[in-house]
Amino acid sequence: MIKDLSQRLLGPVTLVLLALTIWLGLWVTPPDAVQGNLVRLVYVHPSVAWVALYVSFGTATIASALYLWRRTRSMVMDRVAHCAMEVAVVFIALTLITGSIWGRPTWGVWWAWDARLTTTAILGVLALGYLALRRANDDPLLRARRGAVYAVLAAINVPIIHFSVDWWKTLHQGATVFTVNGKILIHGIQLWTLLMSFVAFTLLFIWLLRARYRLEVRRDAVSSTQLAQALVTRQREGAQ
Amino acid sequence: MSSTETPLDLTPVAPPRSPSRSRWRSIAVLVVLAGAIIALLSQGLLHSLNYFETVDQVLAKRASFGTEVMRLEGVVKPGTIERNANGASFALEGSGAETVFVDAHGSPPQLFQANIPVVVVGHFTTKTGLDFNGTQILVKHTASYIAKYPNRVKAPNGTTR
Repeated sequence: MIKDLSQRLLGPVTLVLLALTIWLGLWVTPPDAVQGNLVRLVYVHPSVAWVALYVSFGTATIASALYLWRRTRSMVMDRVAHCAMEVAVVFIALTLITGSIWGRPTWGVWWAWDARLTTTAILGVLALGYLALRRANDDPLLRARRGAVYAVLAAINVPIIHFSVDWWKTLHQGATVFTVNGKILIHGIQLWTLLMSFVAFTLLFIWLLRARYRLEVRRDAVSSTQLAQALVTRQREGAQ
Repeated sequence: MSSTETPLDLTPVAPPRSPSRSRWRSIAVLVVLAGAIIALLSQGLLHSLNYFETVDQVLAKRASFGTEVMRLEGVVKPGTIERNANGASFALEGSGAETVFVDAHGSPPQLFQANIPVVVVGHFTTKTGLDFNGTQILVKHTASYIAKYPNRVKAPNGTTR
């Protein structure tokens, strides 16, 4: 009952929170003292990056690790990892695009080969590599195992991206919320709108993942049904 | 499963691909992947993980940088900006009193202003001097966000913003 209700409400709640984020971000929050109205991208880019790096890639990694662990190994984990990685590709692309749109007027360039941007681009390549690797393997078990090992290894890049702005000198600014010393560098309604955007985009991820997962389950069910039908037909042919 | 359903296509199909074929395709994917990652890294990080040198670092080892092309980071000193037809000139400071005088060509980014950190691409004009010839100015804004009108934030219908 509660599960049904939460599933029914997921879409509408996500849309309402996204609309609220847009409304607060574009109309209610004030311009920034230095960036002016460019600051309004702070309600999109960091939350999209949060979903790309930690939520979606993280989900894919955890599901892959659970697949590799014998006690939790199941095709459900493989399916979750696969679907989460597909969503991750979309959000990584959005991260790079929104970052570029923000970078042009603030930095003065669309792109800079600093450690943060380069490692994020590499994450995008790694995510695409995961999908390519899956397509290269026809055997479902082999595909699941190789994909899981790959995803766990590729996840090493996530902490590198996170700490790149602390470890090296980058054009990309440091963290605003998840700072090393815990000091938050944004306040008031700007902070609350930013936090709302994090929640809204996280819910959007869950919504997309759920839809993609259900599609995958149905695809598998159709394949199984077709296989069963073919076997029955062959058996009948043999009996004649 | 009734026999009235749509007839299935039961024409013979090719046998499943062998595991070795999957292995070779996996290796091909990994090779292409490695090539793409190396290509991305070669754009900058293989040379140096740091995107720029700070004014303090450069001033501490001025002679070792000579006139090589580099990215120099510092804060634009207030009262030193002079815009001209070619670009802008200004003084770049670090934590100390000594400054680097920058003469940069090209239009600066819209956020370029006094007291803002910038990264200037260019080179020193002499091996030991502090005049820097810039070809590009990049603004490196901080991670802090401060409302322009902190006491005037209200609903858009209303009233104050």
